[in-house]
Formats: sequence, structure tokens, C-alpha cells
Amino acid sequence: MTAADSAHAATRLAGSPLARRNPTVKFVLLFVVSLALLFVFDPFTSAALYVIALVGVVAGSGIRPRVLLLGHLPFVGVAVGLVLVNALSRPGAEVARLGVLRVTEEGLEVGAALGLRTLVIGVLSLGFIVSTDGVRLMTSLHQHARLGLRVTYAVLAGYRTLEELPREWQLIRHAHAVRAGLDSRGRPRSGVAAFGRAGFALLVVSLRRAERLAIALESRGLGLTPRTTWRPVALTTTDGAFAAGVLAVLATVLAASAALGVLRGAEVLAG
Amino acid sequence: MAVVTIDAVSVAFPRRRDPVLRGITLDIAPGEQVLVLGSSGAGKSTLLQLVSGVIPHSVVAAVDGSVTVGGSDTRDSSVVELSRAVGLLAQDPSSGVCLPTVAEEIALPLENRGVDPAAISGRIDAALAAAGVGPLRERRTAQLSGGEGQRVALAAALVAEPAVLLLDEPTSMLDAEGVRAVRSAIAASVARYSPAVILVEHRLDEFAGRAGVGGLPQRSIVLDAAGAVAADGPTREVLAAHAGALIAAGCWLPFESELDAVFGAAFGAAAGTVSGATRDTAAGLDSPAVRAGLLAFAAEHATIASSTSASSSGAPVLSTTGLAVSRERRPRRSHAPLHPVLTGIEFDVHPGEIVALLGANGAGKSTLLLTLAGLLAPAAGVVAGARAGMVFQNPEHQFVAHTVAGEIGFGLPAGPATDALVARLLDDHGLAELADQHPHRLSGGEKRRVSVAAMLAHERPVLLADEPTFGLDRRATIGVMAALRRTAADGTAVVFSSHDLRTVATLADRAVVVAHGRVVSDGAVFDVLRDAAALEAAHIELPPLVEWLLDNVGSDAGVRRALERLDAEVGASGAAADRAAAGRDAAGRAAAGRDATARDAGERSDDPATLAAAP
Repeated sequence: MTAADSAHAATRLAGSPLARRNPTVKFVLLFVVSLALLFVFDPFTSAALYVIALVGVVAGSGIRPRVLLLGHLPFVGVAVGLVLVNALSRPGAEVARLGVLRVTEEGLEVGAALGLRTLVIGVLSLGFIVSTDGVRLMTSLHQHARLGLRVTYAVLAGYRTLEELPREWQLIRHAHAVRAGLDSRGRPRSGVAAFGRAGFALLVVSLRRAERLAIALESRGLGLTPRTTWRPVALTTTDGAFAAGVLAVLATVLAASAALGVLRGAEVLAG
Repeated sequence: MAVVTIDAVSVAFPRRRDPVLRGITLDIAPGEQVLVLGSSGAGKSTLLQLVSGVIPHSVVAAVDGSVTVGGSDTRDSSVVELSRAVGLLAQDPSSGVCLPTVAEEIALPLENRGVDPAAISGRIDAALAAAGVGPLRERRTAQLSGGEGQRVALAAALVAEPAVLLLDEPTSMLDAEGVRAVRSAIAASVARYSPAVILVEHRLDEFAGRAGVGGLPQRSIVLDAAGAVAADGPTREVLAAHAGALIAAGCWLPFESELDAVFGAAFGAAAGTVSGATRDTAAGLDSPAVRAGLLAFAAEHATIASSTSASSSGAPVLSTTGLAVSRERRPRRSHAPLHPVLTGIEFDVHPGEIVALLGANGAGKSTLLLTLAGLLAPAAGVVAGARAGMVFQNPEHQFVAHTVAGEIGFGLPAGPATDALVARLLDDHGLAELADQHPHRLSGGEKRRVSVAAMLAHERPVLLADEPTFGLDRRATIGVMAALRRTAADGTAVVFSSHDLRTVATLADRAVVVAHGRVVSDGAVFDVLRDAAALEAAHIELPPLVEWLLDNVGSDAGVRRALERLDAEVGASGAAADRAAAGRDAAGRAAAGRDATARDAGERSDDPATLAAAP
């Protein structure tokens, strides 16, 4: 290992505890927790899991508060929508009346459960995203989940293309604006048609780029065997302990809420 | 035992009448370096694709004969298998860079070849250092400039030490410093492990550097317009025998060969005192016949009006005061200072003036042009004047219509006046026969002409052009120069950026050099080109021909005249040759799925998926 390698490894180690965990393990845990939540329909269990997930992500990933808040926005939007739809549409005991709309207790409960479930998945996904490097994830998925190289590198090359899109879009919009008519304030006019034309140009440029990227990857020998991995992603006993811990917490919360009699499954939907 | 054997190979693309390559037979020995010469559309890039296996595996083509690379027949081995023997550096740097960080990009070919992971880091460092971009190791590839990207792609092509190195215009995006780095990286690889090299390059003088023809591969192959091998042998001999035909066909040549061909025929006999023996040893600017010939060309300026007589008179049509330019956008409610790439620009442009904008990669030329066009808000100061037109580096970014005629008429009110204007522009730019073609299907030179004509249709008082001759062969370059010159003669001010100082010296009235975040020189073009300090600051190197003319020709008009006369040697230099080329291209194009003409000319275009998507 050269000095540069250790320096690189050092920046990773200096990262958060969550960043040091194996990306595939994190990915699988995110999936398992999301799957388990599919069977939880009471707000108390979801709320408990949300609080634990939030604390875990903040402590484990060192996510900046601003990123955490902004990242929550889409999930909060969906959660509010779920609460409203369920509260207003689900039959049950009426707790309030808004004109012709009835707000039901069952509706509020199921809506809150679904909304909180969205937030749990949201905060865990945020933790995953901020603590995981794309290349490490793909390397790890190949190493530990046997995902094909052609798939993992296609995803990485696709990501490169995505990174270039804003720049290309800007260039194309500029190139088109030069010949566009001016509006009353003297700025190039833009409308749906102009967007469409720029979109088509972007499609043409991106397809060509993708084709060239594919040739470049092949000409670098992607797919030759045997191959080596420069910086393999470690899968350690700590990752095992981390996975066991997360699953234990999940099981404990579910067991506790069952013991307290607040855990509800999909049977609430049948009402 | 040859490392590349091409045996009686012909290549035809579907729905194209004529083969792109015919009856090619070549052997390339291990460690042998080969330069491929030929005009646009002669099939130079197709030849490289044959060796890499891209043809027939990724690009559909009918291939007769056989190609063997490193002992494997390319028909039986995929591009991936062939990559054990072949390294490829493609034209467009963004296409060569696939992964998010530089180190991972360079590691990929080594991982794929099963190199011991412990050895990889050291080899990444060595490859990046050889390409002159060692400090970029931990950078994200999205943040690389065009020139940096090209050098990173070169390092990725070299790092696994392939037995055959294919270089498709490795310097097209680079300034003088970048070209030096690429040249030395290739030379270092050749010295270290002797790969066979096949080089396709427009900018031969820049690539060869001060070594001249001696700095080029020692063997050259000439492809003629029909795609057959017209010559194959030692570079000096091939150039001596074929330079005249290559010049007439519109190829770029090393300037010494160009001069020998032009003056060997016209002046060798007339000079009398110059014996054959002398001519063999004294080539290019060392040859008395060439010197006499250049001076005779230059002297014509006294009798024939040259285009330097620019009428840069009248009030400025565009002027800037205290201008600073930046690509950053000031966030709303923020007063944080931006980081302008150029500041303190005081700059007037007059009607009919042709201004060249010079500077290193990343110096801010494109940002300045976008700001002058009103597309970026100034970071400070003002741009005053009427709305300017702008032609972008990649014409495809500009295209909005589905026919050439529609493209030129875009944004104009429908009516007989517009129809007449479009018809006139189609004629002026040699595009009449292409009026109904899809703009994306044209060759590189044609695309450029369409983008210029489409902008000129708006009759703006200022035309800005970002690298308008980038990636073009010599004929297309001369065509673009002629269009810009006509535009200026009609009273439009022209401002263009360029790395090609021969084009600048042939075309511009005035030059502006940017470096270190400001304008370091601004004045009559030949005064600026004599300003050694400014050129040094901007990492600009004068081509030897321009340097010799500046040193030896008494008047600026003479320098201009000599350069124009040399351009006049290309075909009939003008409309006739342009039309011939356009006719040939159009015939070949028909409904070409893959247009090798476009490939050679700088834009890899016409992939069927894209065209199928075109409504």
C-alpha cells in the first residue's frame, strides 16, 4: 500500500461509523427494515422506529442538519398526503367534520402509521446515501452480492452521464437562446416548444455520449477474466455485529409494541 | 511477426453506396509507429475501429478480408478480448472517461487485466505523471476541463501498456502545453515498452513540435478519397511524393512538407542554383527555394489587395466596461463575491473587424464569449451594444430543426423575405444541395457551416464564435474562414476564439490574449503575435511557419498574403472544391447509418439509435 492509498483509506476512516460499514450490508438492512415496516399499521411502533432511526442516522453518519432537513422534505410531503387521504377517506368513528368530509379515528391512525413509515424509510435512505460512496457500493455489490460487472459499471457510467447532463443542458439552452426571440423585458423567450427542442438535442447528445462510453468501457477490457479489484471493500465481523444489532433493535421494538398491545398489522385495513 | 495484420480488407456501411475502405493490406510490426493521412471521409477513423474490433462488433459494417491483432482474428474476438492487446484514445475526452474519480478511471484497465492490486497504485501514479496530470489523481472526473479529460483518457489508454496504441486525434482539445504533455507521454511510453502506434491527427505541426517531420511516426500511410492505400512507406518519402495531392485534397500536413510541395514544384527549377542534393538535405524553412517562394508570395501584397485592409471604422458595436465574467450564478439574497475567471475587461469591437481571442485551456475564453452574447450575466461591469449572435463549439448543441433549410430559417418570421435569405445563405455556404438533409446527419465541416449560416440569418451586428475551426480538416477550416471573412466584409464584427495560430494569423485583424484572469495583450493581430511576453503568459506557442514569416517578411500585409496564398493551394481553394466535397459527401451519405466522414471531421455522429429517434 502506498502513501496515497493510506491517505485515501485515512479519509475514509476519518469518516463516520456508518461510512465504514459495508455498503451491501447497509443496503440489505435498509431493504429488510423497509420490508418489515410493510406489515406495521400502527403509529406507535412506526414512531418508535422513526425516533430510533433518526438518532441512529444522526449519530452514525454525522449528517449535517441542513441536509437532514432538506432531505426530509419529499418524505414529509408524502407523509402528510398519506395522513390526509386516510383520515378523510377511511370509514370509522368520526372525530371531526369538515363540511362534507368526515375525519375518522381509524383513518387518522392508519394515515399516521403510513406517514411515519415513509419517514422511517426516508431517514434510513438519507443515512445510506450520505454515508455511501457510489463506486464502493458498486464494487461491494459485485463482490458480496454477485451482481454482474456489466451491470455495476453500466450504473457507474450512467451516473457519469447524469453528472454531465446539467452542463449539457445549460450549453444547449444557451445555444438555443441565442436565436430565440426576445420577450418584452428583452430576455430570450422560452416556452414549452423551446424546452422540447432543447430536450431533443439533449437526447441526441446523450445517446451519442452513451454509445461512446460503452465503447470506451469495452476497450478498457471490462469483462476480461480473471480480474482483480484494486481497493476491495471489506466485509468484517464488525459488519456482522452491526447487522445483528440493527435487526435486534427492530425485533425488540416489534416485540415490545406487541407486548404493550399497540402493534397492529394489516388487519386494521379490513377494519 | 506483425502485431497487426490487415489482409485485403474492404469495409462498407449499410445503405452507403461506396465502400469506406477498399482492399487495404498492411502489416504493422511490434513497436512500429504509423501515421495515417487522408482527407475527411477517407476512412482514417474506420481503420482505427477495424483494429480495435469496434468494427464489426459494435458498429454494423460489411467487412471483407481479415484483420489480425496480437494473433487473434478480430472477427472471432470481441472488443473486450482484443483490449488485451489494444489501447484506444478516442477523440472526445468526455467519451473516454467513464468513472466518477480519476484514480478509479486509471485503475480500471489494470483491474480488468488482473494486475496485482498492490501494484496498481504505483502504476496509476506513473501513468498520470507520464501524461503530466499527476496532481489530478484524487479529482472527480466531472470537474475535469476538456484538456485535463483528454490527458486522463491518455493515461488510461497507456496504463496497461497495450501492444498496440490507437490514437484518434489525441491533441484536438489541447492548448500548447497540453499538446507538449501528450507528446511527451506518448514518447515516454514508446521509449519504455515499444508499443505499435497508429496515429490519426489533424494538428501535425503541434503534435510533432520543434522536431518537425522527425517528431512524427516514421512510417506513413495515405488513404485516398476512395478509401484505398495510395502510399505506404517512410514518412519523409511518402510526404515528398504525395504532399501535393494531399494539399489539394484538403488534408493538414506538416508545414515543411506543405512548403516543400508548394515551392518544390513552383520554384525548385526557377531558383536554378538549388541543386537536387541541397533540396534533399534542406527541407522546409531551411530550404532556400522555400524561403524565396514564401517571400515571393508575401511580395504579392503590393500588387494584389489582401484582406488585411479591414474597415474597422465607426462607433463600436459592442463595448465592455470593467467587465468581469464568471460561470457561477449569484444565489438570490446573497452578496458573497463570485470568483470571476476574468476581470477588468475593457474591450470595444468595431463593425467589420475580425478579433481573435487567444488563451490557454480554462483561461475563460468561452465564458467571456457567453457573457458578450448576453447568455451569462456579468459578474461585474457592463456589456453595452446590440444583441450579438454566437456559434458554439459543438454545432449539434445549436440544432433545433429537422432540415438544413429549416435550421437556417429558424426564429425568423415566415415569408418571402426569409425564404430568399435562406436560399442566399444556403448558396453562400455551399449547402444548397443539403437543404433537405437532417442537420445531425452532416459531416463535421458541413455541420459547422450550417451553424454559422443559421446564426448569420439573424443579421446581428456581432458574430461570436467559439473555436469555429475545431476538429476540421484543412479544406473545411478554409471554408469557415472564408465565411467569417465574408461576414466581416458585410460590416459584421466577428470575435472568435482559437488555439490555431495559423488560422488566427490568416484571418484576424486584431487579437486579444487572456491569461492570469485578465487581458494581457490587445492590438493588431501581428503586433500581438510579436508580443512574446503575452504569448508566454498564455502558454501560446507560435507555429514555426508563422514565426518565420513574422521575422522575415517586412510588412504585415505580406505575412497575411503569404498565408492566404498557401491556403489557395488547397484544391481550387473555394467554391468549386467545396461543392465537389459536398457532392461526394452527399452521394456517400444517402442514408448512411454510420458516417465515417463525420467521424473524421470531429463529431462522431449518425448512430442509428439517435437517428431512429429523430422524428
